[in-house]
Amino acid sequence: MDENIEVSLDKLPIKRLEAIEENGAERFPPDVDYNEKRLSLIRKIDFAWAVEKDDEKKKQKKSSKESLTPLKWQTMVENLQLAHQELSVIIDLINTVEANDAVTVAGMTWPKPLPNEVLSDLAVSAATKLQCFRHLGKYFKQSAKALEQQVAREARFYGALIRLQQNWKVKRQRMAAASAPGNEGFTIDLFDNSLHDPAAIVRPSSLSTIRVDHDAAGMLAINLPSNLCHSLQFGFIGSQSGDDSRESSKKFYSSGEHHLRESEKESLSDEECVKKTHSLLREVHQAIFDEQVFDLVNREAFNTSLGFSVTGIRQNYLQLSLGQGTSVFLSLVSSGQDDQTVDGEGAQNVDDAILPLDSLDGVMLPDEKQDTLKKWGFPNHLSCEIYLQQIFHEHVLGRGNEKPISTGGRLSGHPVKDGSGLLEHFCMSLAHRIFSNKVLMVVENVVSKVPYLQLISHPTWHSRRSSWTLVVKVPQSILHARCESHISAIHNEKNSIKSHFRTKVVVNDDCINVEGEGVSNVIGLLKGKSEESHSMHSCNCDLADLSMIILQQVASQVIGWLFEEALMVGIKANRDFLRLSVELEQRETLSLVAHVDPEDSQGCISWWLVMEDSFAEERKLMDVTDAASDYRKFLGTFIFGCVVFNADGLGQLVRWRRPINVV
Amino acid sequence: MDSQGQTTSMQRLQNVEKRIIRVLELAGGVMDELSNSTGPRKELINNHCLEFMQLIKDIQVALREEIKGACDYRPYEKCDYSSRIANEICCKKLECVLSQLDEMRQTVNEYHGAV
Repeated sequence: MDENIEVSLDKLPIKRLEAIEENGAERFPPDVDYNEKRLSLIRKIDFAWAVEKDDEKKKQKKSSKESLTPLKWQTMVENLQLAHQELSVIIDLINTVEANDAVTVAGMTWPKPLPNEVLSDLAVSAATKLQCFRHLGKYFKQSAKALEQQVAREARFYGALIRLQQNWKVKRQRMAAASAPGNEGFTIDLFDNSLHDPAAIVRPSSLSTIRVDHDAAGMLAINLPSNLCHSLQFGFIGSQSGDDSRESSKKFYSSGEHHLRESEKESLSDEECVKKTHSLLREVHQAIFDEQVFDLVNREAFNTSLGFSVTGIRQNYLQLSLGQGTSVFLSLVSSGQDDQTVDGEGAQNVDDAILPLDSLDGVMLPDEKQDTLKKWGFPNHLSCEIYLQQIFHEHVLGRGNEKPISTGGRLSGHPVKDGSGLLEHFCMSLAHRIFSNKVLMVVENVVSKVPYLQLISHPTWHSRRSSWTLVVKVPQSILHARCESHISAIHNEKNSIKSHFRTKVVVNDDCINVEGEGVSNVIGLLKGKSEESHSMHSCNCDLADLSMIILQQVASQVIGWLFEEALMVGIKANRDFLRLSVELEQRETLSLVAHVDPEDSQGCISWWLVMEDSFAEERKLMDVTDAASDYRKFLGTFIFGCVVFNADGLGQLVRWRRPINVV
Repeated sequence: MDSQGQTTSMQRLQNVEKRIIRVLELAGGVMDELSNSTGPRKELINNHCLEFMQLIKDIQVALREEIKGACDYRPYEKCDYSSRIANEICCKKLECVLSQLDEMRQTVNEYHGAV
């Protein structure tokens, strides 16, 4: 209150109250007349007179008062008396109540309901019932909708689960309600409990049991950290193993992942969801198997020490040395990252894809591939990896209920009976592969130099054996057509001229065996006897001597054929190891000599025509260094186009044409 | 099993669930009809109730059959995980061979191109 307080004062009235009545009326003395005022003023002087006057006045007033007030007082007094009476009744009642505790109500009368009140009560109860019904109806309908949605969600989930159950073991645990809501406790068990060899598996992987979760939409989902899965990786140390195949296979998975990341999860149809889950389970299953294989390899590596030695060990990494400078490694690589120590090559390396299994009939290899031994020496690392997995699966991990079926005798001949020497067998297979690659290189080198020689590879279905056949194709003899009519069918086999000669090269582990047909071996010929043409002789040799032996075989096969031809036309001919002598008149000898040189870049087998007279029989057969002699004629490396026997002559004339390709 | 035609057990149980939903809807409909301010229509309620009872009967029949037909749960006696691994190995072999064939074809093409 900021205002100034104002106080107003009223003058007190001069008149003073004379009396105040019981009902509050104030009585002022009546106004004095003017005359009486004067009189009173005058009489003030005589106080006795004033006192008498006052008494008279008072008497008059009292009499007037007594005549007016009895009316007011009477009603008031009566009211008061009535009130007094009622109050006394009430006080009596209160006293009575205080005295006696029990007071019974004699009766209470409800006010009688009016007819409109009855109807309204009925209406209200009816309306309440209808409201209840409506609530109930709404509740039922809402429940139906909610149930429909839940049924749809669960239908997706259980539909997916049933599809997965066709391929995987699904187990259920009734878990307590404390776990995540909506989790019915399904798990997928990837552990294989049907193996008969419990010693093989020491530790069941932590990945064996996978929990089935729901994703945001209620659909089945599996949550797995991506780097938990390991895959097996095998490689040769020091080689530029082409990672393209591995990258391509990894691209397969990663592109699938990428595709899923691009599209929204809700737009994934149930089908795709199930497929994605299924491929994830496949990955995990394979990862478990790879871990087991790695475990077994580790155990065998430290138990046996034949054929290989452990040279390095790290976490999830094992390095072995196979001898002769070859080292291999086996590692478990997490699928999320790449654990490669080799530089990846951008372009695809064709040189790494070498398999000596298919037939390479007539394929000549370009020369630039013959210089790097390293590229050729190592087999495909991916195929080695697969082979390792296969042998462990068939012999140890996958035995299950049935024995492994050996189709085509693929596993026959393995020295492995109970799976203990698997790693040894594998390492020996690798060593054999590398060695046979070297053998193949030598053989191909020879074949590429000799124009009439062909190479055929044979699949042996054995990982430690390889075999090839070298074929010398000789042209059909001209006389053969004529002679055929004279030869009966019975003598066909005996007198048939072969159109090709074969030499077989077989490699067993690291042992080379050369087997030739139609050829006598060195020792037999030096004895001077002429052997039959259809005999087979074999010998073992080293890698260094292989090309020499092959070339000698081939040359002697050609000489042998020419000898047969000469005999066919009736020419008198003699045959040595690599030399065919034809007797001419005047006691002269014409010899066809083969010269074998594996390192010759022009051609491995070169042919010489040597004229000798009877006085020079002592001349050595192998004396071919003197090229300038008149008695020698170099024919080149291609033989079949330049020697043709005369059909008529019985050794009288030897005609030759210029060789087609003179070196 | 033959009477159900080609539906699988899963589909039959799905149908049971759909019937339950339908039953709930019918109950809601009957309640709504009873709460109608102008009084319930008798035919509608009759129809609903008839359908209700029919559905309940169907549900009972279907569930009984499914329970009878459910086989005992046996722990997995025949596990095909090992042949699955063999299959995976074969897949890998196939991929390897395919890649090598591709390389061979490329070599042949280069050879022919060079010639």
